[in-house]
Amino acid sequence: MPVPIGSGPNRRQFLQRAAILAAAAPTVGAFLAACSKPAGTQGSAPSLTIAKPDSPVKWPIADDNKPIGDSLPPEKGATLKIYNYADYLSPQAIKGFEDQYGVKVEVSTFNDGDEAITKLRSGVDFDIYNANYTEISRLVTGNLVRPLNHSYIPNISNVWPSFTNPWYDQGWQYTVPYTIYTTGMGWRTDQVPADIGKLSNPYAALWDPAYKDKTAIIDDFHTAMAMVLLKQGITDVNTSSEADLKMVGEQLSALVKATSPKVTITMYSDMPAGQIGLSQMWSGDVINAVNYLPEGVGPEILRYWFPEDGKGLVDNDMLVTLKGGKNPVLAHLFLNHMLDPAVAKENFSAIGYQPPQNSLTADSLVAESFIPENLKNVIVKPEYFDTGYRTLELDADNDAAWHNVWNAFNAGGS
Amino acid sequence: MSVMTPEKTLRGPVGWWRDPWRRPRILAGITIAYLVWSLLPVLIAVMFSFNDGRSRTNWQGFSFRWYWGDQTKSVWHDASLHTALLQTLKLGLLSTLIAVPLGVLFAIGVDRWRGRLPSGANVLMLISFVIPEVLLAVALLFMVTSLALPFGLGTSAQVIGLVTYQVAYPAVLVRARLATIGPQYEEAAMDLGASQLDALRRVTLPMLMPAIFASTVLVFADVIDDFVLVRYLSNGSATEPVSVKIYNTARAAPTPALNALATLLLLAAFAAVVIGYLVFRRMTRNDDTTGRGIAAFAGET
Amino acid sequence: MLQRSRQRTNRLWPVLAAPGVGWLLLFFLAPLYVVLAIVFGQRDPVFRTAVPVWNPLQWDPTQFTYVLTRIGPDGVYFPALVRTVVYVAAASILCLCIAFPVAYYVSRLAGRHKGLLIALLIAPFWISYMMRMLAWVNLLQNDGLFNRMLSFGGLFDPNVDWLTGQPVVVILGLVYGYVPYMILPLYAGLDRLSQSMLEASRDLGANRVSSFVRVTLPMCRPTIMAAVLLTCLPMLGDYFTNDLLSASPKTAMVGNLINDSVQAPGQTGQAGAFVMLVLLATVLPMVYYVRVTLRGDEVRT
Repeated sequence: MPVPIGSGPNRRQFLQRAAILAAAAPTVGAFLAACSKPAGTQGSAPSLTIAKPDSPVKWPIADDNKPIGDSLPPEKGATLKIYNYADYLSPQAIKGFEDQYGVKVEVSTFNDGDEAITKLRSGVDFDIYNANYTEISRLVTGNLVRPLNHSYIPNISNVWPSFTNPWYDQGWQYTVPYTIYTTGMGWRTDQVPADIGKLSNPYAALWDPAYKDKTAIIDDFHTAMAMVLLKQGITDVNTSSEADLKMVGEQLSALVKATSPKVTITMYSDMPAGQIGLSQMWSGDVINAVNYLPEGVGPEILRYWFPEDGKGLVDNDMLVTLKGGKNPVLAHLFLNHMLDPAVAKENFSAIGYQPPQNSLTADSLVAESFIPENLKNVIVKPEYFDTGYRTLELDADNDAAWHNVWNAFNAGGS
Repeated sequence: MSVMTPEKTLRGPVGWWRDPWRRPRILAGITIAYLVWSLLPVLIAVMFSFNDGRSRTNWQGFSFRWYWGDQTKSVWHDASLHTALLQTLKLGLLSTLIAVPLGVLFAIGVDRWRGRLPSGANVLMLISFVIPEVLLAVALLFMVTSLALPFGLGTSAQVIGLVTYQVAYPAVLVRARLATIGPQYEEAAMDLGASQLDALRRVTLPMLMPAIFASTVLVFADVIDDFVLVRYLSNGSATEPVSVKIYNTARAAPTPALNALATLLLLAAFAAVVIGYLVFRRMTRNDDTTGRGIAAFAGET
Repeated sequence: MLQRSRQRTNRLWPVLAAPGVGWLLLFFLAPLYVVLAIVFGQRDPVFRTAVPVWNPLQWDPTQFTYVLTRIGPDGVYFPALVRTVVYVAAASILCLCIAFPVAYYVSRLAGRHKGLLIALLIAPFWISYMMRMLAWVNLLQNDGLFNRMLSFGGLFDPNVDWLTGQPVVVILGLVYGYVPYMILPLYAGLDRLSQSMLEASRDLGANRVSSFVRVTLPMCRPTIMAAVLLTCLPMLGDYFTNDLLSASPKTAMVGNLINDSVQAPGQTGQAGAFVMLVLLATVLPMVYYVRVTLRGDEVRT
């Protein structure tokens, strides 16, 4: 016979238990505090040094984080761990490296930078990370990256000279460039017959109800919200103005009502599959999309637009070596491997994103039919980097404000 | 039975409707329709795993390309898919091996122990049975990343989370079975001189075997399919099982290799169930107190 | 003899139950305290990651109140919460409408084919949930079989994008995923109903409908309640169904709110707050489930 559950505690018992709980909680608290992990960056300066194109930064190298020594042998039989976006590294490039050094390479993926940084902080042992300069300050301040020993990376001479002294990492102490890209609008001519590029405000096409359920925006808070700012003619894409952010929030709500866009980073496969007709797109995704077109459909169906004067979002991604990684020598060698012209070009054809290699000029790419004629404006010209707008790192308060707007949008606030 | 006047005979559609002994065609129809709706999409996905082209919606011919043909992306050649498969099996075995004994002992103990503490423990166990998985996953993620525990994110954390989530399953099944068996066999053994522990070991446990076995099979099936917990507690692609791999790749650019991987897992699970069922029937061949059909195997005593 | 066994009883059972109880306390209750410590904790000024505060006397309610003020009727998170309730309620009702006839048929009327039908009903447990969803993603793509069927081979042009923010698709996805979890408990409960009661009601003159409403339904009410709770509680934490079938904020559920904010810097506390709120909201149904189950145990013994 089961025991009845009981009529519940009486008043005295309840007070007794509450008193015990109240006394126990701080003890439990103290116990857990003793067990908890050290909080990380409490000692260093609470504010970040934000690098800007007009105020370049040379990062300090901490004493306990010196670069590795010269001429060390690569680690044998190791597994090199790379943390990257999905489909953002050519399998052939990986295989070439594996064969050359007799090691295994393992690629883990993330969906966006926020998720990646949180993961990196939780004590994983990746060797290489595909970073963006919107994170570089946090990465360096938070002691997550390892400085480079340049003697392992002679192939740096193959990339554009400006990358040996970029404003976000003077003297390329921590980073090597990986890809360069612009952020514009991509569309399929069969679903979107209009020439978006000829409109007076191409970004506004995303709000056009005629394209309902066919649109998409990039699942990155900064990129998507910067596009909204540009649509309204505001060129400070790192603004901290409350009024501007409020406007962005309202515009995003209007966007959901008008066309109900997907929020994703897979437009490179969704658009060729016909799921999306018009999208905010990274230039590399457009080229990558050509690889995913079904049989019988040619690349003429895809189009891309980016402001001709280069006054749009221009960025580059970088590769960094992580302090928690167990294979620093291999990590250096891999970075060198990716800067090799042949490897970089093969990577380009596999992932669609252009590397800043000296040998790949706009003319040579078109002449070799590497890029279809109708997608010529995908090619990133060096001049863009002078006129374009960069999405920079935001300081903590501004970051919070931007995230609040993005959060509200993602909660389907309409 | 309603009185039948000579005019109201059991003929024609009205008669068919009124016949209380007619075959339940409508319900049978609903059941068949449900089974088709439930299983057909999976069969189509399996079919496309044999597709010759890259598409998962356009049939382009039959081939084993995605199983072993394609040099880089087929299941045979893609190391990341092997890792995922191995991780799934590793998690399944480890979690089952820990959760089932834990749950069985818990059930036996709580069933016989009288008092407030065990009923509280019972309530806790039942709550862990119905709690939405994401709550537990987030809580464990916070715990593993904030406390300096001897393990970090990765297989250990995943196994711990899975065991916590699954331990209620064997506990519930064994308790139900204990209730059905009743105390008489154990009491008889003790009357005949056995100690409590002996009676437990030699009389009750063998009688619980079908329930234990059924719960092992069910926990294994649940664990190899688990998604939320293992994703939050993983620390890189080496610790991502098949379910996470499918999720990650499905949102990017999946090839039919994914269908092939899922088909292989399906075959493995199917083989496990068939073997398990045959063993179950062998184990219960002399047992009168349990059913021997598939229902009993699934734990519905 | 009874005296001695009762003394021994008091030591053996707690020992057996102890590992299970200890495990649940360590890995189920303790993580919930960690969630509290993070929700009411601080944020690292540089990375804006969560810093847990262990002493309740130092807890800081800003993050919690931030979320609390935004879940009211004009708050930002309100639509997602309402949507979750609506989707889960709709999906649960649909599940019940499908699961009950199927379970009733298989448990009472299937005759010879019962074993085979049960095997087919259990099959979805062994097929990865992800794969079942993936199968539907394939079918519902713009060039997938579903649209091709709708266009009747080119006659119409169904200009519908099923995978972009369609609530119907998400609800049906939830139904598809969770209905097997409802069928099995319903089957078990209906199996136990006594046939003689039902026949008696027909004998006494009730027609089919009246007999069902007045005899069958009341008898299996606890079973239905338990099955519904067992299905709809886990559904509340689901986020991946929405992610796979509709990557749009228009159909975001509370699980998506949690998932999106857990890894985002500065918002981990908010994720914890959502976890707490969902836990509070589901505690009553969970307790109700526990009571229903325990009562069922009583009835059975």
